[in-house]
Amino acid sequence: MSTTTFIQMVRAELLRIRRRRSIMAIAAFFTVGVIVIYFGIGAIQHLADPGRYGPAGGVVNFNRATVILSIFFGSLAAILLGTEAGTTDTSSGVFRDIVVTGRERLWLFAVRVPAALIVTMMLCLLALGVSLAAAYGFAGGLPSPGASYAIDSVLWVCAAEALLCVIAVGLGSLTGSRAASLTALIGWQVIAGRLLAMISFLGSARDVIPNIALGALKPGEQLPDTNGLSMSAGLAVAVLAIWLLAWVTAGAWRTRTRDA
Amino acid sequence: MDDPIIATEGLTKRFGERVAVDGVSLAVPRGCAYGFLGHNGAGKTTTIRMLLGLTRPDAGSMRLRGFGVPGHRREALARVGAIVEEPRFHHHLSGRENLRLLAAVRGPETFARIDGAIERVGLHERIDEKVGRYSQGMRQRLGIARCLLADPELLILDEPTNGLDPAGILEFRQLIRSFVAEGRTVFLSSHLLDEVEKTCEAAAIIDAGRIVSAGAIAELAGGSRAELIIECDERDRALALLAGAREVLGAERTPSGLRLALRAADTAAELNRRLVEAGIAVSRLEPVRSTLEERFLEVTSRLQSAA
Repeated sequence: MSTTTFIQMVRAELLRIRRRRSIMAIAAFFTVGVIVIYFGIGAIQHLADPGRYGPAGGVVNFNRATVILSIFFGSLAAILLGTEAGTTDTSSGVFRDIVVTGRERLWLFAVRVPAALIVTMMLCLLALGVSLAAAYGFAGGLPSPGASYAIDSVLWVCAAEALLCVIAVGLGSLTGSRAASLTALIGWQVIAGRLLAMISFLGSARDVIPNIALGALKPGEQLPDTNGLSMSAGLAVAVLAIWLLAWVTAGAWRTRTRDA
Repeated sequence: MDDPIIATEGLTKRFGERVAVDGVSLAVPRGCAYGFLGHNGAGKTTTIRMLLGLTRPDAGSMRLRGFGVPGHRREALARVGAIVEEPRFHHHLSGRENLRLLAAVRGPETFARIDGAIERVGLHERIDEKVGRYSQGMRQRLGIARCLLADPELLILDEPTNGLDPAGILEFRQLIRSFVAEGRTVFLSSHLLDEVEKTCEAAAIIDAGRIVSAGAIAELAGGSRAELIIECDERDRALALLAGAREVLGAERTPSGLRLALRAADTAAELNRRLVEAGIAVSRLEPVRSTLEERFLEVTSRLQSAA
């Protein structure tokens, strides 16, 4: 397949995702909206009662914003967008009409990944931009994030969201069901992953939980809910790579073999 | 080229114990409208899905446009447009955006065909509306427009008139005929006998996963039947005269005359001569032409009774 065709297919996928206004609105809310609310409330509280509430910005609040984006709301946005990219062709029945063009099915899967990533990263970077602006703008007397820390944090949040987004594309392509994929991933991210992290007798087996591995790579403060678990950066990268590869392979395999 | 545009040999598909398509061999000539007739569940859609690479056959071989499938699926489908069951779209996108999506998958040269395809199916006034607001007929037309993006040599249409009103059906039929006039081949799957009879030059009848009859529509409809309707005066005397004739297998009175089952179709003139010689005035003498529907019911019920 030519590069031009690949780019056109990615652009077509982008159009399909962007035009899903309800999904885009929810994803924008979970990223930019939540960050605006977080810093907005902090700023209002500080203005209303400076003695009780510290400045809304600074490195501490920026660090919390990165956790909100990577582990909590931002991850939901990444899951939502990834699932949308992975399931829509199948759930709408259009997959059949695309397959009859004769285009190799692996490419049909392959273009979903960059398209979902572009939209996710766009929102993620916008939210990080707002976070950084607020961290510096509302810092008051608090220390602001240093350039190196800010860059590391931006990269870490982007990596965390990209990971979940691609996993969601893979799982969505595997199941073909938006409801099943969302339930499984959100359930894992919000409930199951954290519960497993708390079960101490699992010991170092818990290193395979993506959030634990992500936490090991986080710059600055440790993630909440990691229960003191730590691992080397190399192992963390390996764990995340395996998760990524496993779901991408599963999604690609199912796209290739699915009856359309 | 004289080789069939669709050629299958022993195509078989099983779903567990059930054999949905059982050794189907087809040869669809180029440049015609070819019907694929069968009851619901006879195996039409499964056959089409195998041809298009949507599901894998368990046995048999297929060639589309001269290319082996699935080995050369990409080349085979490059100039094939297909609607399987009903055309599906992204309802949150406009008709034009849906076409752009598919054009992107087909390749850069396809974008130039979008406007022509929209014009051809008469959707230009509402093409920028969301597909979710389209009627069934409009979605069918958009489906055809999507097929045209391939500049198809072969159109495979599975039950394309489902859900269309009579005017829509007529319009669709004209569209199919215009494709054939351009030298394209239309493979039309339908359970509507009338539809196939009015649209196609040839057809294959599939029943319980097997091809039970195939050929030109006239041949299929003709079958082995030879009947004659006669209107005359003195019907009782005419019945007595003809019922005993060796050319006649059976005779019955109808409100306006007689209906005869003949040993051979070419004996009508001889029977007419006998009636006239007996002094019976014959006002109508008409061979009964079997319809495709009658032929279809005949071959499929034959199978049912054999089962």
